[in-house]
Amino acid sequence: MLTRTNQALETKSEPEKKESHGSTILLSILFAVCFVLGIAYHLFQWNTGSLGPISLQLASQAVLVVGYASLYFVLHEIYRTRRSRPAKSLWTILIAGSVLLVVASITSRLGGPSILPGLEPPYNLVGVDPETGIPFVLATIFKMNVLALSQITFALILLLKLQDLVLVKRSKISQRNWYAMIAIMTITGLSFFANRPGDSPGELQLIAMIIAVVFMLVNSFRLSWIVYLSFKEKLATIGLMLLLGLMLLFGIGVLNVGPIDRLIAPGAANYLEMYSYPIFNFVGLATLFGVLYATTGFLSLLFHLPTSGEFTQRAGERATMQSLAHLVGQVFDADKLYTTIAAAPVEAGSAHVSWLAVPDFKSGSLTPSLVSTHRIEVEMVEKLVDSKALFDEVLLSKTYLHLEHAPTDRRVHAKPGAGIGSLLVTPLIARDEVLGALFSAKDVIRGFEGDDIQTIEILSSQAAIAIDNARLFEQAVERERLSRELSIAREVQQKLLPQQIPALQGLSIAASSVSAHEVGGDYYDFVQLGERKLGIIIGDVSGKGTSAAFYMAEMQGVFQSVSRLAPSPCDFLSHANTALAHSLDRNVFISVVYGVLDLEKEEFVVARAGHCPVAFVGQARPAVYLRSKGLGLGLDRGTLFRENLEEKRISLEPGDVFAFYTDGVVESRNETGEEYGYDRLLATLQEHRHEDADGIHKLILDDLARFLNHGNYDDDMTLLIIKWHGIELPEIASRVLEAEEST
Amino acid sequence: MSNFSVGFRNNGSIQILDLKGELDAHTASELEAAIQKCQAGSSYKIVINGSNLAYISSAGLGVFMAYIEEIRENGGDIKIAALQEKVFNVFDLLGFPILFDITQSEDEAIAKFEE
Repeated sequence: MLTRTNQALETKSEPEKKESHGSTILLSILFAVCFVLGIAYHLFQWNTGSLGPISLQLASQAVLVVGYASLYFVLHEIYRTRRSRPAKSLWTILIAGSVLLVVASITSRLGGPSILPGLEPPYNLVGVDPETGIPFVLATIFKMNVLALSQITFALILLLKLQDLVLVKRSKISQRNWYAMIAIMTITGLSFFANRPGDSPGELQLIAMIIAVVFMLVNSFRLSWIVYLSFKEKLATIGLMLLLGLMLLFGIGVLNVGPIDRLIAPGAANYLEMYSYPIFNFVGLATLFGVLYATTGFLSLLFHLPTSGEFTQRAGERATMQSLAHLVGQVFDADKLYTTIAAAPVEAGSAHVSWLAVPDFKSGSLTPSLVSTHRIEVEMVEKLVDSKALFDEVLLSKTYLHLEHAPTDRRVHAKPGAGIGSLLVTPLIARDEVLGALFSAKDVIRGFEGDDIQTIEILSSQAAIAIDNARLFEQAVERERLSRELSIAREVQQKLLPQQIPALQGLSIAASSVSAHEVGGDYYDFVQLGERKLGIIIGDVSGKGTSAAFYMAEMQGVFQSVSRLAPSPCDFLSHANTALAHSLDRNVFISVVYGVLDLEKEEFVVARAGHCPVAFVGQARPAVYLRSKGLGLGLDRGTLFRENLEEKRISLEPGDVFAFYTDGVVESRNETGEEYGYDRLLATLQEHRHEDADGIHKLILDDLARFLNHGNYDDDMTLLIIKWHGIELPEIASRVLEAEEST
Repeated sequence: MSNFSVGFRNNGSIQILDLKGELDAHTASELEAAIQKCQAGSSYKIVINGSNLAYISSAGLGVFMAYIEEIRENGGDIKIAALQEKVFNVFDLLGFPILFDITQSEDEAIAKFEE
């Protein structure tokens, strides 16, 4: 994670980097100048044998502080672009520390021992005035500057590198605490500006030191990077922490811990104290923080060692969660989805074996099938566990079921030691619906801890979302396919209805059919039985939708073939019943009215098979329904059908009107639930009987629309109007002529 | 959303189904389930009480046709009683009175079983 942010940071700030590069060089030059000025001041002391005026003393201190502050920013800039892993940060500190330690060690021993025994620090050094600290010899100046440089540099590297560790997973507060600590350390150090080396700190300085220590403690508990280490890395880091602590305590003894510091670089601390008392104090505080951090780090690592396995499990959980979250988007391959879900509890380290049971949504069956198993065979699961019974339980409870002691449960047929000691069944719930159940098992009893259950529950809810998405996707595809099929069915059905209304002299016909759904079950058709003879059928298949449309197609076939052979409507209907009886489902029937209009004989004969009766009105005869007995086609497959058929016969008079319709017309209901009804239809027909077929057809539909008062029909609706106008006068005249000629 | 329901009652060995609401293509499956339940319980003598049945469509009528054969083979019957006039007309139009005993009251229907 860290390295990735760094890369982003680096690529983002290309010009910025150049700029900072320039300022780094400037700061380096500033540091070098200050360092040289420091040497110059010490040479002045050596030359004159005095500390010089107080202004010069203070100025030299200021120059050194500015110089090393510049060095801090130079190092900060160098390390900023090279942030690294925690272990590497520690290594950097240790290596830099060792190098500088060696330098300090050699330097302090150059030209004999540095410390004069029996004198009080800090002026117990060879070649230094024990009263004032003024160097006698040039070698002292050399030693002092080299030792100060190496110690301060090390302290700065220490702080900068520990900063990386402290600010892992930084927050605003942790960042603030860190900079506050640095600020207080700096202020505390600077407060010794006017003090002479060896002076005891004043009260305010002590308070500042205490505050600094408080912040050090706060910062030294920022150890969150430790939990990300593997067991081996932790062991290695323990070693590094130990080394760091020892190096800080006994290496360059800035802490002034007495005789021990003399082992490696004797007098190094004393030289630094003389070099700059404020900086000496700052370095001391930095070293103290280093020791504190090494100590807390060391102890924390020790305590974290046993929980490394736990952490690895957490890492597994996270990885599993991520791969599942990723899967939520992958909805095209149900099998792959199931496999991943079934494996999730094991992959997350929360179970030993696991499997997934999902009911078959398509068939609507709630019996779950084992769609995927992980680390266990399907047959084995079937043998050992009654997954269905367990599934049924979580289906009802909608919460997880935890069998701590699985072998004692009646639904688990595993003997102790057969691999299923404890069992956890979690329902996969999305949108309040149980989509399946995830079974996780451990080979020991009471194997699942609270956090295992929590993890598996979270996995389950993720999995549920993934399955739900897959389902929705599948449904959308299915819907798309269905709607395509339906539109084809509709097209076919529209072609089954007559494309052209037959034209017979003296007859006007108007017909329309509206489907409430994509495909309907209404049917009407004509058949020309002779030059002056027309068969008319109207029918309605029970039920709705695609199946109704198929039966309608069948009806059409029967009509077109049988009607020409049947001498009368009754004959036709009983033939049709026989023909259809065997192909219709038992719960399906077709209601039909079939009428034959014989213009030669001037007669209309009609028979009814369960359908709404034809409405008839003459110019001088009142409107009536031609209601005869008759069963719907398909209701009876024996003789009852034929026995109950009846024909009605009307001798035609000019102006006679016949209305064929389906129940969609009379059963249409308005907003108050009232049906249009037979009476209203008959009255409307009576009222408009003087119009031609088109006019009557339109006026009835208008009246119906007015009655319904809303645009959409909720049933299929077919209306067919036939009007007999009689034989035109010229035609009669020509006939009379013909008759006269023939006689 | 379904505004159809089936109530179960017993009168001796006769199973009475009280239909309520509108029986159409969408609610037909509920009546199917009810009749299947009767069959599962080996009650083949069924009286349909239609006094609260407000509407029936052709798909609803189809349910009776789907089961009548099997029920009669088992020595039972479906008798339909107390239909509202409008609903009776739908039965009548299709010729159901020829195929089924349709009576004015539930008692008459029960009495028919005892004939």
